Amino acid sequence: MKKKLLTAAALLMLVVPGLAACSKDTPAASDTKTGQTTTQAAAIKQEVTANLKGEPYTLDPAFASDSTSYWVIDHLYEGLYRYNDKGELVEGAAEKIEISPDGKTYTFHIRKGLKWSNGDALTAKDFEFAWKRVLDPQTAAYEPSALYYIEGAEEYNTGKGPLDKVKISTPDEYTLVVGLKNPASFFPKVAIGRPYLPVNPKVVQADKNWAGEAKSIVTNGAYKVGAWEHNNELTLAKNDQYWEKDAVTMETVHFKMVNDATTAYQMYKTGKLDLIDTLPTDVIEQEKGKDEYKAVADFGVYTYTFNTSAEPFNNAKIRRAFTIAIDREAITNNITKGDQKAAYGYVAYGVTTPSGKDFRDEVAPYYSNDPAEAKKLLEEGMKEQGWSTLPAVTLKYSTGETHKKVAEALQEMFRKNLGVEIKLEHQEWKTYIDTYKQMNFQIARMGWTGSYLDPLAVLELYTSKSSSNFTKWENAKYDQLIEQARVEQDQEKRNKLLHEAEDVLMAELPIIPVYFYTQNYLNSKKIEGIQYSVTREPDFRQAKKVAE
Amino acid sequence: MWKYMLKRSLSMVITLWLIATLTFVIMHLIPGDPFATEARMLPEEVVQNMRERYHLDKPLIEQYVQYMNGLIHLDLGPSIQQKSQDVTTLIQSGFPASAVLGLQSLVIALTGGIALGVVAALFHNRLMDYAAMFFAILGISVPSFILAPLLIKYFAVKWELLPVASWDGWEYSVLPSVALAIGPLAIIARFVRTSMIEVFDQDYMSTAEAKGLSTFHIVFRHGIRNAILPVITFIGPLFANLITGTFVVEKIFAIPGIGKYFVESIFNRDYPVILGTSVFYSAVLILTLFVTDILYRFVDPRIKLANGGE
Repeated sequence: MKKKLLTAAALLMLVVPGLAACSKDTPAASDTKTGQTTTQAAAIKQEVTANLKGEPYTLDPAFASDSTSYWVIDHLYEGLYRYNDKGELVEGAAEKIEISPDGKTYTFHIRKGLKWSNGDALTAKDFEFAWKRVLDPQTAAYEPSALYYIEGAEEYNTGKGPLDKVKISTPDEYTLVVGLKNPASFFPKVAIGRPYLPVNPKVVQADKNWAGEAKSIVTNGAYKVGAWEHNNELTLAKNDQYWEKDAVTMETVHFKMVNDATTAYQMYKTGKLDLIDTLPTDVIEQEKGKDEYKAVADFGVYTYTFNTSAEPFNNAKIRRAFTIAIDREAITNNITKGDQKAAYGYVAYGVTTPSGKDFRDEVAPYYSNDPAEAKKLLEEGMKEQGWSTLPAVTLKYSTGETHKKVAEALQEMFRKNLGVEIKLEHQEWKTYIDTYKQMNFQIARMGWTGSYLDPLAVLELYTSKSSSNFTKWENAKYDQLIEQARVEQDQEKRNKLLHEAEDVLMAELPIIPVYFYTQNYLNSKKIEGIQYSVTREPDFRQAKKVAE
Repeated sequence: MWKYMLKRSLSMVITLWLIATLTFVIMHLIPGDPFATEARMLPEEVVQNMRERYHLDKPLIEQYVQYMNGLIHLDLGPSIQQKSQDVTTLIQSGFPASAVLGLQSLVIALTGGIALGVVAALFHNRLMDYAAMFFAILGISVPSFILAPLLIKYFAVKWELLPVASWDGWEYSVLPSVALAIGPLAIIARFVRTSMIEVFDQDYMSTAEAKGLSTFHIVFRHGIRNAILPVITFIGPLFANLITGTFVVEKIFAIPGIGKYFVESIFNRDYPVILGTSVFYSAVLILTLFVTDILYRFVDPRIKLANGGE
């Protein structure tokens, strides 16, 4: 029995590589054909298969909190604002937006004739419903705080005010009027966020788990859910009711859920996936420089946080010494390897300022790798504190391959450049967050990504009132600058205020920026026109499949 | 027999209750918060609202009573992580894939293991024996996270015989089933070999041989039936382990099973899923052990069930 099986297997092994070799020739042959005649391209079925890595936690915009869910949700729903094919923020479901002179009242005129994917009419009331639903304490949404810019919203959500004091109203079916607490000129950047997306009231009220299955999800964006095999594949089909459906070139999007990065790469290599991200470092090394490889900046920064109330980092000179003792290029070139940029400032690349430049490029680096200066500063700092030896330092990080390598590199750099021996300690993520939030550390790793694309989104974390400031660092001037930037209407003045705030932060360094995040992709040559952006996952709406 | 069944059923329920209770206590002892997914602080009231939604604001004892009440009605509560799904739905939708893989690998492990063990015993201390046992040791020592990528590399990428990963038809289940089966197959082979060698020394085997029975007859009618007992002891828990999914193999082959929930629910502090999966696994295991005990009786009539009332 066993023997027979073995012979059969051996035979198979002999025959099949030959067959495979034949099949390999076909895609190449069709490639050349499509090159010759463009008409043939029209006949190609417009579908793309991307790797979502895992099951989206939810497709209900009110509860989404992770990039997997965001990726799908961004294809399913369209808010008042949206990004166009150049990555600019433009009107979406709203065709005209009026802002009152004091910058506090936004009047959105919703496009007429908009429809949900089930044919229901989409009106301003649906937006009102969706926003008030996110704010309802009973809903327990993930990010109602994104709506706190609206007057009365925070009070209602935290049980301190009534619903009728929330300044969201709909004078008629096509008009949505929103009153803000303060004139926040960056409101559109916030309002493009997922908590602001509309949901269909009838659908939501009919079934509490409506967002869990393909059949009950109703959308208003470029796609609807075609099929959803949990943990395996989610298929998006073009939404025929979408007002701008003619601009959507990609008909079908298949999201596979392959969690293992090496497996995903093998599937990409065998043509089963057209787009993969989060490439393993050995794959990055192999694929770098090829056309299919893409490195796209993320609006986030990999940092180490100082506890400025704990010795020895209560001294600004010592903090600076540790900051400039780091060779950031060594880390990005030898550890992360995926075209990450060394961070010589805090705000990541991606924000275009009124001058048309990137916010980061408008100012010179705040520091450089300078071991000699670092050593000098350390001595001066110790003298200021009256220490003959530096208090023992333990650096904490969350368990993970890259985090470990970076922590070990830092340990070595501090040893070499400062002559300081530090201890390393790591904890599993959830435990680590607890430790971090309780500020039970001297220096600890953390990454920060802006929840909207504006320097304010990351700078406001370090005001003395911010609940996400885990440095114990307080600076009155900084607080004042951020407060001004929040309400300043003049964009150039506002930009200047934000730069000044960053100047203060980088002079005192309660945090060490290490590098700016980058996402790496492999994009099959068969698919063109996928839009990559700093804040969002790749956009398939205008993508085209050019070869079978 | 019926009295025994009743007694066993009662003790199974108590065991399950103990496991659920212990899991409940230990789970709440781990530091960490299901709602803290990142370091950015959510406003306190927002977190409070979420706690209320999942009844985590109530005293532990009240949560415990509520959970037990749900459990009796087979309602495992909502998942905190998978926000639009109940734990029962999660298990229902993932279990078939895990079960199919588990059963297939069990069949491979059993047939392969018994065949290998018998061959080794028949050729005791000869080349075939050494070869079989070398293979067995290899199978035991190579972990599935090494074996699985190797299988993919050769069978899927290099020779293009089978798909790399995913779950769209029977051909997708071949490589993961093999990857899952190799370890248990090797263990079974060693069990079978040892007990077969023992059985071959028994008088009844000489009798069978003296009667002029064919080797096939001797091995299958008289040998295996007696040699299989230790294997049954082993496949009870193995069966429970395999059909409830495995984290590593399911992850590598992108199988939509329930293996990952056992691990991820703990990392996410998704309390209802931790409890749900633990209870589910325990129930399967306890049932399997019960069935194994009954099976013993059929395979070996000499074994009497404890307090056998007959």
